[in-house]
Amino acid sequence: MSKSQIDPRGPRFGAGITAILLLIDIYLSLTPASFPTAVSLLAIIVALFAIGAFFGNAKHPYGYIFKRLVRPLLQAPKELEDSRPPQFAQLIGLLVAGTGLILGAFDIQLGLTIAAAAAFFAAFLNAVFNYCLGCQIWLGLARAGLIKA
Amino acid sequence: MPFDQNLIVIIALLVIATVAGLVWRSSTGRAKRIKHGLQIDLKEIGATKDGKPVTAFGEHTTFLQFSSETCSTCKQTAKLFHELEKTSHGVLHIEVDLTHRLDLADKFGILQTPTTLVLDSKGIVKSRIGGAPKPSTIEEEIGHFVI
Repeated sequence: MSKSQIDPRGPRFGAGITAILLLIDIYLSLTPASFPTAVSLLAIIVALFAIGAFFGNAKHPYGYIFKRLVRPLLQAPKELEDSRPPQFAQLIGLLVAGTGLILGAFDIQLGLTIAAAAAFFAAFLNAVFNYCLGCQIWLGLARAGLIKA
Repeated sequence: MPFDQNLIVIIALLVIATVAGLVWRSSTGRAKRIKHGLQIDLKEIGATKDGKPVTAFGEHTTFLQFSSETCSTCKQTAKLFHELEKTSHGVLHIEVDLTHRLDLADKFGILQTPTTLVLDSKGIVKSRIGGAPKPSTIEEEIGHFVI
């Protein structure tokens, strides 16, 4: 992961949009008639997580929207933050939502709904409570040998 | 219009997530007392400050903060302790990055960052703070402070 400095409010703004999209996706996934739409929407969400995970918040569409439309309305940030923590969170989002997408593609409705709900929880907590996934789970995963520094 | 039952699921998710967030926010950053704590070995943890090895503990209190690269609140916590160090007598702040020291994470049983161990003047662990410390938590540790 490349190290750069970003406005910490950018990723939280993006997480807010992600949480809303995931909630819509969960709603669509609960009715058989709209389930295919839920799979398609989740595919878009997965693609967006992939951009965030591999290219970082600065190159993400939400990062762009934040910079062009939201940031000019706000005061300068009190401090900047490292770009790696939100990028790690995007990677986790990609894995969870990606799992849901695969299950959805095989018509496993409950699997898609549960995965989308898990991703929604993390995105919602990040946006509303400034919960940081990298702070909470990175060390546990690394100690379990699931990821390497 | 019949009531949309699926909407109940959405509302329930929002309520559960909000409650979980409130519980997390109130419980994070609090100190837990440690009885018969370990004595920290500064050499073992590889404590450095401004590029130099740390050889002595703070006269009054040492905040040993464990961080990681993927942790955004670690930086804010470090800044808080840094200010505290400047304004409170006898306070020392040491930050150790666990990203390449998973052995220390295992030894101290650390699962989240920042985790801060509060040490007395001899380097014995007195309490442990999981998450970004609340101002009231720091006050409990070192008394009234101004930053």
